[in-house]
Amino acid sequence: MSDPVHAVVGLFETPRALLEAIARLRPRGLGRLEAYTPYPVHGIDQALGLRRSPLPGMVLVMGIVGTVTAFAFQYWISAVDYPLITGGKPATSWQAFVPIMFEVMVLFATFTAGLGMLLLLNRLPELDHPLLGSSSMSAITRDRLALAVESEGDGLDVAAAQRALTEAGAVAVEVVARPPGPYTVSIAAAAVAALVAGVAVVAAGLGTWVAVKAFPALPPMVHMLEQPRLSAQGGSGFFEDGRAARLPVPGTVARGRLPHPFTRQEEASVLGNPLARTGPVLALGRRVYGERCLVCHGSLGDGKALLSAAYGAKPANLHTAAARALPDGQIYHVIVAGKNSMPPYVRELSQDERWAAVHYVRALQRAQNAEARDF
Amino acid sequence: MATTTTSLPPELVPEPLSTGPVTAGSLDDQVLAFPDRPPPLKWFVALAFTLGCFAVGALLIVYTICTGIGVWGNNRPVFWGFDIINFVFWIGIGHAGTLISAILFLFRARWRNAIARFAEAMTIFAVMCAGIFPLIHVGRPWLAFWLFPYPNQRGIWPNFRSPLMWDVFAVNTYFSVSLMFWYLGLVPDLASLRDRTRPGFRKVIYAILSLGWRGSATHWLHFEKAYLLLAGLATGLVLSVHSVVSFDFAVSLVPGWHMTIFPPYFVTGAIFAGFAMVVIVLVVVRESMDLGNLITLRHLDLMNKVILGTSCLMGYSYLMEAFTAWYSMNPFLHHTFRQYVAGTYWWAGWICIGCNILAPQLFWVPKWRRSYPVMLFVALAVTVGMWFERFVIIVISLSQDYLPSSWHVYWPTPVDFGILLGSFGLFFSLVLLFARVLPIIATTEVKAALQGAQPGHEGVAS
Amino acid sequence: MNPSETVERRLLAVAMLGLIGMVCSFTVHGPARFWANFLLWFLFLLTVALGSLFVVSLEHLVGARWSVPIRRIPERISGLVVPLVPAALLALFSLPVLYPWARPGAVLAPIVAAKSAWLNVPFFAFRVVVCFALWLVSYRVLVGSSLEQDSSRDPALTLRLRRFAPVFAIFFGLTVTVVAFDWISSLEPEWYSDILGVYLFAGAFLAGLAATVLGVAYLIGQGRLPGVRPDHLYNLGAFLFAFTVFWSYIAFAQYLIMWYGNLPEEVYWYKHRVHGPWQTVTLILAIAHFLVPFLALIPRGSKGDLKTLCRVVGLVLGAHLLDLYWLIFPVLGAVPLLSWPELSFAMFFLGYALLWARRAMARGEDMPVGDPFLAEGLAFHL
Repeated sequence: MSDPVHAVVGLFETPRALLEAIARLRPRGLGRLEAYTPYPVHGIDQALGLRRSPLPGMVLVMGIVGTVTAFAFQYWISAVDYPLITGGKPATSWQAFVPIMFEVMVLFATFTAGLGMLLLLNRLPELDHPLLGSSSMSAITRDRLALAVESEGDGLDVAAAQRALTEAGAVAVEVVARPPGPYTVSIAAAAVAALVAGVAVVAAGLGTWVAVKAFPALPPMVHMLEQPRLSAQGGSGFFEDGRAARLPVPGTVARGRLPHPFTRQEEASVLGNPLARTGPVLALGRRVYGERCLVCHGSLGDGKALLSAAYGAKPANLHTAAARALPDGQIYHVIVAGKNSMPPYVRELSQDERWAAVHYVRALQRAQNAEARDF
Repeated sequence: MATTTTSLPPELVPEPLSTGPVTAGSLDDQVLAFPDRPPPLKWFVALAFTLGCFAVGALLIVYTICTGIGVWGNNRPVFWGFDIINFVFWIGIGHAGTLISAILFLFRARWRNAIARFAEAMTIFAVMCAGIFPLIHVGRPWLAFWLFPYPNQRGIWPNFRSPLMWDVFAVNTYFSVSLMFWYLGLVPDLASLRDRTRPGFRKVIYAILSLGWRGSATHWLHFEKAYLLLAGLATGLVLSVHSVVSFDFAVSLVPGWHMTIFPPYFVTGAIFAGFAMVVIVLVVVRESMDLGNLITLRHLDLMNKVILGTSCLMGYSYLMEAFTAWYSMNPFLHHTFRQYVAGTYWWAGWICIGCNILAPQLFWVPKWRRSYPVMLFVALAVTVGMWFERFVIIVISLSQDYLPSSWHVYWPTPVDFGILLGSFGLFFSLVLLFARVLPIIATTEVKAALQGAQPGHEGVAS
Repeated sequence: MNPSETVERRLLAVAMLGLIGMVCSFTVHGPARFWANFLLWFLFLLTVALGSLFVVSLEHLVGARWSVPIRRIPERISGLVVPLVPAALLALFSLPVLYPWARPGAVLAPIVAAKSAWLNVPFFAFRVVVCFALWLVSYRVLVGSSLEQDSSRDPALTLRLRRFAPVFAIFFGLTVTVVAFDWISSLEPEWYSDILGVYLFAGAFLAGLAATVLGVAYLIGQGRLPGVRPDHLYNLGAFLFAFTVFWSYIAFAQYLIMWYGNLPEEVYWYKHRVHGPWQTVTLILAIAHFLVPFLALIPRGSKGDLKTLCRVVGLVLGAHLLDLYWLIFPVLGAVPLLSWPELSFAMFFLGYALLWARRAMARGEDMPVGDPFLAEGLAFHL
């Protein structure tokens, strides 16, 4: 038994002949009429009674969606999530968002137009359409115009369609069968293409893996790291002693950095805070605390901060009874020498800065444990 | 039309857009046959040469990345050197393609049909060349993805108030949209190629790429609508892209950069340079591929008219810049504009004026618009001139701005020149490859405009 | 009395009433407001005329055919440049009133004084004269040849027009820029923007297109343009759309660059326009000059529909007037002025212009009947 007929295709030589044939065949209701042309012939859509393309509406909607998305995205990022002031402009400066709003609008709209046309409206790719295998197809994409009477479901009066097309002036008439037919692209070829693509992907992945494993730490640009400079602890032929760093002059002490004579925390209790509790001192303490302490101990000093949240570290809560009972000298000692995971800050902070931080810690403690007379 | 045009003076009679008998079939046999035939020897020679240039550039890029951008001539304060000059130059070259394919389409200038495909391809290749430069300019290109706004563990976002971010969006959009536009136009032509290629590997490729296009009336209905919409959107896009590039300069306070005319001036310059490049390539293609009957002297004549027109607009922009610089009574602007024509790089300023403003004036003579030597001379002059224009804008303005103590002269290094050469090599390699494997003329568009192709509009010329 | 005469009498009456109001405004509010209004209307009519002239030349420049059947309308409107000559000479009297650099005995800021080589009254007047001379000559060539062709049917005239068009385009660009720098920019002489010429060109071209559409609608309403179909209107609509976008692009680019740069000598110009009482005007300008025409002209149907087009171009002309108002009036003070003096000026100039346009529209052939491409233009299909 022969394959079911998909369509009867008549070929025409001129667009005028095609338009006339459409006009003649359309009232006869032989089947669904569809024209195939090598280039767009104007007026053919009216002749066939095709509905107007809904594409402009789709593009308009997606263009608006793109504009609004871009604005909302930039606004949220620049004004809400990461309000970084640059160039003295307000975080909400819409003027600067306009270029990207326009670009995203175009991006959304063009991809709607292109992909909407190809994928949604024309339902491409469609590599197994019956007509693609027909001998008419190569004539159509070259210079012939075709009118097809296509079967709508079951019945297609092939003989009548052939006759009608011939009468309408078709130079050739072909009956195109529904699958299985001689496809332009067989399933096998598509499978081969897919296989090749798959192999290529796997090979690229393997290649990347091998490259990464074989050359694990090939730094492409190390000049920032390997500068022509002397390391603090390194050697140098420049000085007689062969050291890169210079030692302090014997018998001298740097200003503001008197040696801390104690090794145990308890011994430091004897130290008293030499600084008066004045506004500038507290401001200095606040700055030191903000720069050095806050990341771990938190802005309130309760040990809950960025780093503890990120890494699960447990910095001391400065509001415990024990912490509040510590003498100033012991807090000073911890800043100088460090404690548990806390590093020493003896090099980073001068004496005054350390003592100012102690004052500030005291102020924090007081703030969390205020008494009636503080109000 | 014969009745009305017989009495016309010959200058008013429109020349045909193709010479000799051209039918839909002959068109296919001429244009779509190139992929079938083995390329001639000269093609291989040319490709070897351009690939060689590209290899030089590629090696120097690797050298740059491994060593750092200190190998370039960039210094303080000329942080932007050849990298940004080349970026702006190549982006500009791309604009001609979009102009031809989109804007002239909207104006229903049918002469664009025969050259649109080539120009669109050049757009894509030029944007590819352009894309290299900001990437290597950032110094650590493997971190270039930081430019994209994505949620990251660093908890930071890019700065959307920076024109450099606008650039990222503009250039990426431009590349995606150009590619889409180009591919969309290619689909019907690829279907023609598919149907005329003998079964085999190439046929499979063409079949997959043409997506099963079969030219039904429904297909064309949506296709034409999509093409029209894309043309409209691409027109806006082409204005915006070079405007955004110009904002990189204009929103800053560098004297000579902070000019309000920059957006339209950059767009004009881009179209100007792009057309010159298209003319160069078209002349070579027309001669070497025997396409004289489809790409006629009229096409080149019209292209040259556009070059002349944009050259006059460039002249207007130069004039306005110079006048406003004086009129502003801003001493820094005065200084910069004096530097343009009488400073360390005075020759660069005069190359600009000579190549961009004076040389194209030759095209006022109709005969010279159709002469190969003249049009090649002008097109090459414009290409050089427009490259130097970006040199003038970037290097001269940066090297001497507000603070004399930080002035510094900029000289490029051989690496700079090598990478520039490499970008040209890449561009022309891609052009050569394109010319042999894909339909270089939009055959469906030319077919649609042949005599008698549109029975509904018979007797209407434009 | 036939209805045509009634209309003319009414227009004349409106104009006369406006004239009385103008005289009163001079005595009541003083010269500054009078001359600002005068300048506003002078520039409005001038840009309409020049825009129309450019519409005419554009056809010759690119060799378009579709616009041949409607070319006579912009040709007639551009004739407005002739009666504007006395208005321009009159407008020179506004110099010492409105322009700080021309105020006699004024102490100028050094930066303004340094510009005196360009900003001085004799040179200014000389530029006005040169510009008008060039426009009148161009009008003579562009429109005169076309009218001559009506009777002679000589296609060589078309050739002459095509050869002249590029030359015209060049000095049109330059003269419009001179108008922008002289009449508008130098009202606030410290300020400078090299895009202003393009800005004014975009506005003028839009105004010319809009006036053309109104003229076409007027003649179609009287059945005098047989053969002009929605296809032709569609092209006009598409141009309107394109140049609405272009104007907005230029306007926004200038604003963005100055806003971003934030240089005191530039941004002050925007500061008193974008903030304070003028903010409302700026917003209305953005809506009327960009948003509404842009949205209204997006649908394909609206570009070919005469009624929609007329509404849109009415708005476009109004927006262009508002644009000039926004450019000129802030020099008068921090508050936008809009009261009976402005109304009187509108009555006089609109009444006069419409009266003039009616007469102009009645003269000669309604289509360039001698143009060899008229048949092709009429047969134009999208």
